Amino acid sequence: MRRCAQLLVLLALACRPAERGASAGDAPAERIVSLAPSLTELLFALGAGSQLVGRTVYCLYPPAARAVPSVGDGLNPSVEAIAARHPDLVLLYRSPQTETAARQLAALGIPTMLLRDDRMEDVARTARLLGHATGHPAAGDSIARVIDSLVTAPIPPPSARIAFVVWDAPPIVIGSGSYLDELVSMAGAENVFHDLHTPSATVSLETIASRDPDWIAILRDSSSAEPPAWAGRREWRTVRAVREGRFLILPAELFGQPSPRAPESVAFLARFLNHSSLPASQ
Amino acid sequence: MKWLVLSLALLAALLAAVTLGPAAVPAGQLFHSAIFWDLRLPRALLALLVGGSLGAAGASLQSLVRNPLADPFLLGLSGGAGLGAVLAIALHLGGAWTLPLAAFAGALLALGLVFRLGLVGGSALDPRVLLLGGVAVGAFCGAVTTAVVSLAEASALRNAYLWLWGGLSGASWDTVTLVAVYVPIPLVVLLAAARPLDLLTLGEEPARYLGTDVAVTRRRVYLAASLLTAAAVAVAGVIGFVGLIVPHLGRALFGGRHRALLPASFLAGGILLLLADTLARTAVAPRELPVGVVTALVGVPLFVLLLRRWTAA
Repeated sequence: MRRCAQLLVLLALACRPAERGASAGDAPAERIVSLAPSLTELLFALGAGSQLVGRTVYCLYPPAARAVPSVGDGLNPSVEAIAARHPDLVLLYRSPQTETAARQLAALGIPTMLLRDDRMEDVARTARLLGHATGHPAAGDSIARVIDSLVTAPIPPPSARIAFVVWDAPPIVIGSGSYLDELVSMAGAENVFHDLHTPSATVSLETIASRDPDWIAILRDSSSAEPPAWAGRREWRTVRAVREGRFLILPAELFGQPSPRAPESVAFLARFLNHSSLPASQ
Repeated sequence: MKWLVLSLALLAALLAAVTLGPAAVPAGQLFHSAIFWDLRLPRALLALLVGGSLGAAGASLQSLVRNPLADPFLLGLSGGAGLGAVLAIALHLGGAWTLPLAAFAGALLALGLVFRLGLVGGSALDPRVLLLGGVAVGAFCGAVTTAVVSLAEASALRNAYLWLWGGLSGASWDTVTLVAVYVPIPLVVLLAAARPLDLLTLGEEPARYLGTDVAVTRRRVYLAASLLTAAAVAVAGVIGFVGLIVPHLGRALFGGRHRALLPASFLAGGILLLLADTLARTAVAPRELPVGVVTALVGVPLFVLLLRRWTAA
């Protein structure tokens, strides 16, 4: 549940395409500090994990990332803790706070890149950018090609309707301005809140009940398949999927951030939906 | 006549709350739908009880501290409730009732502190000490809350704030039953103090000459009003302006006698919150606004209008 909300924080920060901040120079960066879990994962996927000298407390994937020293929070970064790692490139998730931090870092002569990887397309663009900046352009291109082919593949007709519930009181769901919404449509399902253009939104419970999703999707850290605690509450049982125990519990580690493993996520979802054909219960 | 109008307004507000909503429920099937029975009806009843509690608490506190600006949350209770909720989340306490209970405990803690401060130096709950103590305790709780928020995981605490401003979305039959059993007790205490409160508004000295035990009245009224507010914040979060505006409306319509003012404030508070919550659910459907935002949006212009009338008079 907590991790779901963490995702929400990331999603709620809106979605602009990846952008490049101060120049990172021409030579590949050798000492990189990454201030977003998705960027840390991408660096390891590019083969630049050994160049990483700092990460956030939330950067836990891949497991090798945990060996890198943490510099604290990524959205509210400590410039001093970052500078102490003597980086030659700092990657930040673009937001008003991180823009201030980037200016302060630039004043210290540390090159920065402000990136915004909220959507699937952003992963491809960011992979190419970081591939060049870290001296792994071929790996960057190869990840980008995989993501591009996923994005341009024909969308299968939706066979199931899903609502992502990230918080229960007040109920918060995922809208179409999000990576998860893209994953769902690529896996042959439909987000019942696709008409909400923000990454996430507070809705009333009766809206969820009346949209009547086949599945309630939930992101979770642990591998427990138990329904969430709120599923037993009478007001939530007005939602058919909750009554019938149709929960789609997804590992937050795979689904919680835009990732080069997007094809894996799509396959995971598609496999689940195929195996649990409607209307039989899970 | 005035009571009839108030009762009709309450009926209309209740009717609007249970018939309007983002989900289209045909009128004929209303009584057969779970959306009516398990979502709209408990939520409407909770809005009525919480709004009423805030209205009655506000009216009695304004008389107690003899200050028209007094609001149930001015006395530090929202700060205490927020701290309780944030601590519960930061300590990873689980369970369906954890947040309401923690918020209630936090509000009680703030209540106790302010009450104790009010007795300092034998001042017997001097209104000025109560107000200053409330503001101080609220600010202190706010500071501790911010410290916890900045040290703990950011995402988890966002949830505490969401919950604290979440309004009535957590309404269920359980909460309605709990509140319906709890609220009448402090309400009766307040009603029983109606006459002494009338006298107290004349001033401390005249009230004493007319036979009021000022210290006892203050203690009872403060505790009862605060317990009402603590319950309201525990089930519905912080909802501003209801407790500030409703008593003024009540006084304008029903005069300053508490035997009429307190029930009128209860009903008017219920009506206001019912209407505000209906707006919160439907205005931007399928999205939902925090009900506290709506009460402020409706309440502030109303308040400004009242202020103009008073200053013109």
